Amino acid sequence: MFKTTITTIAALALGAGSAFAHATLQLKEAPVGSSYRAIFQVPHGCEGKPTNVVRVQIPEGVIAVKPQPKAGWTLEKIKGAYAKSYDYYGTPTNEGVKEIIWSGGSLADDEYDEFVLRVYLTKDLKAGETLYFPVVQECPDGAAERWIEIPAEGQSADDLELPAPGVKLLETAGGH
Amino acid sequence: MRHRTPVRTAFAAIVAIMIWCCLAVAAMAHASLTAVVPADGAVVGAPPRTLSLSFSEPVSPLVLRLVLPDGQAADLDRFVLRDRTLEITPPAALGSGTYVLTWRVISEDGHPVGGSTIFSIGAPSAAPPSADETADWSVRGAIWTARVVLYVGLFFGIGGVFAACWLTPSERGGPRGLSAAVVIAFLASALSVWLQGLDALGLPITSMLDPAVWRAGFATSFGMTVIVLPAAFLLALVAGRLASTPLARSLSVTALVAGGLALALSGHASTAAPQWLARPAVFLHAMTIAIWVGALLPLAWALRHDPAVGRAGLQRFSRLIPWAVAILVLAGGFLAVIQVHEPASLLTTAYGRVLLVKLGLLILLFGLVGVNRWILTKPVAEGEGNATRRLVRSIAVETLIVVTIFAVAATWRFTPPPRALAVAVAQPLSTHIHSDKAMAEVTITPAKAGLVVASAFILGPDFTPLDPKEVTFVFSNAEAGVEPMRRKAVLGDDGNWRAEALVIPLAGKWTMRINVLISDFELVRLEEVIDIKP
Repeated sequence: MFKTTITTIAALALGAGSAFAHATLQLKEAPVGSSYRAIFQVPHGCEGKPTNVVRVQIPEGVIAVKPQPKAGWTLEKIKGAYAKSYDYYGTPTNEGVKEIIWSGGSLADDEYDEFVLRVYLTKDLKAGETLYFPVVQECPDGAAERWIEIPAEGQSADDLELPAPGVKLLETAGGH
Repeated sequence: MRHRTPVRTAFAAIVAIMIWCCLAVAAMAHASLTAVVPADGAVVGAPPRTLSLSFSEPVSPLVLRLVLPDGQAADLDRFVLRDRTLEITPPAALGSGTYVLTWRVISEDGHPVGGSTIFSIGAPSAAPPSADETADWSVRGAIWTARVVLYVGLFFGIGGVFAACWLTPSERGGPRGLSAAVVIAFLASALSVWLQGLDALGLPITSMLDPAVWRAGFATSFGMTVIVLPAAFLLALVAGRLASTPLARSLSVTALVAGGLALALSGHASTAAPQWLARPAVFLHAMTIAIWVGALLPLAWALRHDPAVGRAGLQRFSRLIPWAVAILVLAGGFLAVIQVHEPASLLTTAYGRVLLVKLGLLILLFGLVGVNRWILTKPVAEGEGNATRRLVRSIAVETLIVVTIFAVAATWRFTPPPRALAVAVAQPLSTHIHSDKAMAEVTITPAKAGLVVASAFILGPDFTPLDPKEVTFVFSNAEAGVEPMRRKAVLGDDGNWRAEALVIPLAGKWTMRINVLISDFELVRLEEVIDIKP
């Protein structure tokens, strides 16, 4: 029981948003070759203005994207071709959702909300690397917060001013 | 199963709750600036009583600094945090000029945020005076003296020989001193090369035998002038010797033309645009001065020593001079207009003020000339004895005024005309920044502290065209403690992204960053350190 408690605490601690200022993913690690619940935490608006639109770009290697609808927000799924054909539980897929847009809502600067996607991380993604989901928040009067910078080789996300939310990829979980 | 104690369970629960609390707190944002008073880029009439910075959440300041117009930074330590606004008391007795309010604050999560805004009191800072105070005054004095001697030799000497040959050819010779003036001027022109070299290299008066200095002097456009001018002087000397022969006449004309040409080859006026008008204007101005001024001494001499020739010469002079003066005034007026772009420059620039003094002296001179022409000339023609003496005295006064005008005009050597100032000021800084995703051709106009226009042409990495959604300029100066100032650029018709109304408050090395938003999800940052002149 103690072990379980400690593991739960550790999981919670790890799951905590450590990059407090930015839009982040709540679950920071996920194994490849399985589905992943991407919870985008949006802690603030653009320079004090409320957020009206949240856009998430789906990176290459992520398929079977299903967004969670949100009351008061209109959900849009933008489809496109994938760079290659992926295997989804035996079915080859070469096109699907490339961008998700929640629009029409209003999340004030002093409010917090989460935007959720359920995705499948294909085995083509490399374990050990970090997968980045660029997120753009759009506010009134053309203001925007763009969490779209991806660290280059040797750079860490902490060096960037506008880092994209990322998830660390782990080895395929055994036996599912 | 392990034996569980209630204490252990409670302990685990408390730790879990504490971590949950941390999670809840951690969901807070970093602060962002929502308002600034005075607003960024504002010009206020009086020094503000408070400076306020409003944020999206309560903050605590790490650094609050006000950069003053003279470049010094004053730390602001009197402030009050009211809810989410920092109200800062500025230092007392702020003068007019451009100020930078630079701040670095820490939001409750510990994440620091910084930025800078600019405001001006009264009017934005004008350009500081040019750093020309290192000029060597002994060299300058020598250059000025040499120039005055050159003018005297050219206008009185060469002009005098011309007049002596054409207006008052006399068997009894001519005014003495003309040849002496020409010889001295000849030597002065040789010395001018050396002095010009000293000035060009910024050296004090050192060895005359240093060849580097002579080479530097010749290398300037003045070098052309000092090749033609001594030739003109020599011709005049020979003409003076030959006196009254046809050869002397033609030589004197050649000398006169050469003298005018020499002046047109260098100097501020000759290089004004349009050059095809400016250079001839200088040439005509110089020639007509020589014809007019040169006639003064021979006429005075002739009227005293050879009255018949003097009277004849005076008649010829009176007929000739209105034309000469008309051309002189036209050419001079034209040059004044193209050198001094706007009437305000007459009072604000050194060049303009010299011009005003010269014009004042000219009015005096013309007054005297008028008196000569309409009051004193006729009695002389009629042979009145006293009249001649009066005229000679009047000519002497004219000569003095003319020499004063030469002395004043010689100071122009040291004052760039407003036209040239405008060109120097507008020198832009161009640079090319390259990254593997994009590149930018950036121009900052002018490359000096104050109001600038930043312009960038954005291309793809291999010179392929790129159509970014947004371009932002960010300027920061870590050395002076100025946090990043952001300005959004606007796409112009020529494809350049331009940020106007951008004020770079200080000279020095600034870090310029260009944020190029290639698409909604792709941002490229190009960075370079640029040098802003005072």
